[in-house]
Amino acid sequence: MTSFLRKFRWLTRRSDKEAELQAELQFHLEEEARERQAEGLAAEEARHAARRELGNIALVQEDTRATWTWTFGEQLVQDVRYGLRTIAANKTFSAMAILSLALGIGANTAIFSFMDSILLRSLPVRDPQSLVLLSWHTPRPEFHGSDHHDDDYNDPKGGYIGGAFSYPAFELLQKSDPAFSSVFGYQGAGKLTLSFRGQADVANTEYVSGGYFEGLGTQPAVGRLVGPDDDRAGAPPVAVISYALSERRFGGPANAAGQSILIDNLPFTVAGVTPREFFGADPDLPPDVYVPMHANLILQSEDRRYPPARRYFDPNFDWVEIMARLRPGVTPTQAQAVMAAPFYEWGRAAKPQVRPEEIPTLVVREGAGGLDGLRRRYSKPLYILLTLVGLILAIACANIANLLLARAAARRREIAVRLSIGAGRLRVIRQLLTESVLLAVVGGALGLGVALWGIRFLTLLLADGRENFTLRADLNWHVLGAVAALSLFTGMLFGLAPALQSTRVDLMPALKESRTGEARWRGFRRLSLSRILIVSQIAITLLIVVAAGLFVRTLSNLASIELGFNRDVLTFQLNARQAGHKDPEIVSFYNNLQRHFSAIPSVYSASLSHQLQIGMGTTATDVGLAGGAVKNSRMLSIGTGFFNTMQIPILLGRDIDEGDRSGSPMVAVVNEAFAKLCFDDRNPLGQHISLPRACENCDIEIVGIAANSLYGSLKGKMRPIAYLPFAQGALGPVQEMYYELRTAGNPLSYVSAVRDLVRRADDRLPVSEVKTQRAWIDETISQEIAFVRLCSAFAVLALAIACVGLYGTMSYNVARRTGEIGIRMALGAQRGRVLWMVLREVILLVAVGLAISLPAALAASKLLESFLFGMRPNDPRALAGSVVTLVSAAILAAYLPARSASRIDPMIALRQE
Amino acid sequence: MDNHTPTRVELLQGTLDLLILRTLLAGPSHGHAIAKHIQRTSEDLLQVETGSLYPALHRLEAKGWIGASWNLSDKGKRARYYRLTALGRRQLVNEQSKWQAFARAMGLILNPVDEEGQ
Repeated sequence: MTSFLRKFRWLTRRSDKEAELQAELQFHLEEEARERQAEGLAAEEARHAARRELGNIALVQEDTRATWTWTFGEQLVQDVRYGLRTIAANKTFSAMAILSLALGIGANTAIFSFMDSILLRSLPVRDPQSLVLLSWHTPRPEFHGSDHHDDDYNDPKGGYIGGAFSYPAFELLQKSDPAFSSVFGYQGAGKLTLSFRGQADVANTEYVSGGYFEGLGTQPAVGRLVGPDDDRAGAPPVAVISYALSERRFGGPANAAGQSILIDNLPFTVAGVTPREFFGADPDLPPDVYVPMHANLILQSEDRRYPPARRYFDPNFDWVEIMARLRPGVTPTQAQAVMAAPFYEWGRAAKPQVRPEEIPTLVVREGAGGLDGLRRRYSKPLYILLTLVGLILAIACANIANLLLARAAARRREIAVRLSIGAGRLRVIRQLLTESVLLAVVGGALGLGVALWGIRFLTLLLADGRENFTLRADLNWHVLGAVAALSLFTGMLFGLAPALQSTRVDLMPALKESRTGEARWRGFRRLSLSRILIVSQIAITLLIVVAAGLFVRTLSNLASIELGFNRDVLTFQLNARQAGHKDPEIVSFYNNLQRHFSAIPSVYSASLSHQLQIGMGTTATDVGLAGGAVKNSRMLSIGTGFFNTMQIPILLGRDIDEGDRSGSPMVAVVNEAFAKLCFDDRNPLGQHISLPRACENCDIEIVGIAANSLYGSLKGKMRPIAYLPFAQGALGPVQEMYYELRTAGNPLSYVSAVRDLVRRADDRLPVSEVKTQRAWIDETISQEIAFVRLCSAFAVLALAIACVGLYGTMSYNVARRTGEIGIRMALGAQRGRVLWMVLREVILLVAVGLAISLPAALAASKLLESFLFGMRPNDPRALAGSVVTLVSAAILAAYLPARSASRIDPMIALRQE
Repeated sequence: MDNHTPTRVELLQGTLDLLILRTLLAGPSHGHAIAKHIQRTSEDLLQVETGSLYPALHRLEAKGWIGASWNLSDKGKRARYYRLTALGRRQLVNEQSKWQAFARAMGLILNPVDEEGQ
């Protein structure tokens, strides 16, 4: 043991030991020379005699050194050194191998670290495993407006999953002692205006119940968090802010606690700051500000349709999202079983209007990862990306295996020599494996750099411009572990087969081969492994290229969609209601601003609407027709000049003008689809409609017909739209409005003028969501754009790697067949024939690969169906394009070796033998 | 009696270690002195090859039987001095008795008493 430690210590100071030995031997020589001199030799002669007596100094050093370390370690060092020398000696080969591995491993690491942060990591709270997420299920699919956390959705297995509960249901669940140790709720409040020291800004706000922070087990960074005493009617209004906001607006958490702020112009006191890593329950939507749930009594006091006071009693108004903490030892399934009966009983009693079989049932799911909207949205794309990068790594491995195989064949003589002078087969295999693992390790190390870059790139793609994007993928220990394992595994994978094959040699014939590497072509049998590798590379590459082809076509379909309006307008949002403007002044305030914006030099026209044509959703309501028929249509409240600004043509009748104000007869402009839906072939002008749900007693006359345009979703059809003057308030009181400015030149260059005008009109009013309509549209398809870019990059990568492999293998084969080709040509084969002979082989391999892969690609493309737009998964153009791309790339890669084969000079080739 | 008294004898495998340990029993010494001492004491019969001396010294050091340190030689030069450790001393006793038993056995077989005497 001591001997082991001593050797280990020596290992760490090897160069010292080396110098010591040198000095020791030097001393020996001097001593010997001195002695000889004393015996009567001349100084020079004595030194020579001493040297002679010592013998081979290098050998003495070598033998001495051998006593310092262990044999295994020594051999490993030898292998590594030899491997490094080989890597350095074959620069092109090594560069190709390391590069393809680095790209493969890097891409895998980057994607995996995102999987890790989205799908595997837990909320940064105490004991996340005991958190559950409550929701309910009803067999009837129901239309609901989407909530802030994206938690309602149609259950793929039928029916409808709701993520929000009514307050009475929340109270019932809080009493569920046997299953849960705590039950807490929250509701996204959206973007509210936060003012501090006269500076207004928008802040993403969350209503939280009194038990929220305690239930999550979160400790404040500074001050205190919202507790049960804060969450009741009439409590002093307090707010808790996020760590990021405290740094952004208050100069650090310590300065923030105790400050007075205005939220939507109402005074709140900052009670405390959440820890830095805390981001609420939804990783996709981190709040800046947390206020007690009952603060909605003051913040939303003007909501006449759903007065907050009513929300605390109405069992049919769902708004509270709920999480709970399981008691120790209780599983989600058990909790669901325990609570099923009381919840159902409550539903029967509280919702008499609902049919018994449609009473919601409680669903308890694991909540450790937070809300699952994010997972639902990103998990499938990530799995697809992970599959793609996995396939790329497979291609890279096959490639390197093939290159190693070719090189191993070239080294047959060297290996035969080693085996014949007594190296064990295992020893040689170990040495070859060390070389390939070494390649993999270098590739993995570089891959780490690629991954860091890739993570940054992916974060940009996924965040698409959002500042408070919480998904922070980073290289943590399990990602690093995965990289290390991946490198070693790939090293073994692509190294083992060639190592085994190349050490299984018949010694005598191999030794007899000439040094230049004799042509030993035995048709398909000899290189069957290499052929299998090429065929599988082609097959895998086709899969990736097809995926990329489908996405590229999808993106071009999306980009060429006819919108029906001008997308190059500047848009931004103002919320005068939150800044304190009241009816009816708010309407003239908005109109005055519109006039100011129109007067900005080189702004052609300006208008406003309560939502954007394509942005954050739509409004829809029922339309009552004369004769009692009811239809459903989308609605847009607009200001004057809207059609002019958006360049939507008015086909018949008139535009909405300044005469259409509050109190004057109510009017609407509808689009063609609306006219078709409601009036079929009759002239819609002059017809009257009502809005039974939004505005019961409204009598609205249709005064104009506009051309169709898209509203809400880029991927939808041209749906019926009714445009209503916002001044007449048919859809309810005016809230926030989006302005649209059609300008000369770059729309974004007018932003500072806009901000100036708004500040002059009201300095409490923040300008938010400033971007062009084009940017909004790009955001709705950002996932597709990101996907197309990534997949195209992956496809190019896969093609490049496969072609490099093909090229390497074919040129190696040609080099080995030099003699044979020389004979053929000496016997009269034409250059064209030789060229074709080589190309034919490649085409055959590619054809086999395609034959295997095409059915697989067809099947796999079905998996991508939900990502495609305007096409079917087996889109013939995408498939044909992919095949053509692949075949031409393969022929290109094979052409160079084929050409060099056809230029072989028979005389030179034959003389080499 | 014997006309062909050998001028040199090859060292037997494994005996160098024992000779080194025995030499160091007299006190610390450097490599060259150890070689010379063995040569002189064996009346020049045993010639220590430098090629095997230094690996042997380092091997013994690795085993912990001898220790090494840099000291000034009697000529005032820096030299690597080896000394016997407690472990080495035990090893020496052990090896010595084994060797003596072996040498006696060899002697008994090569020079039977009945033939030699009388």
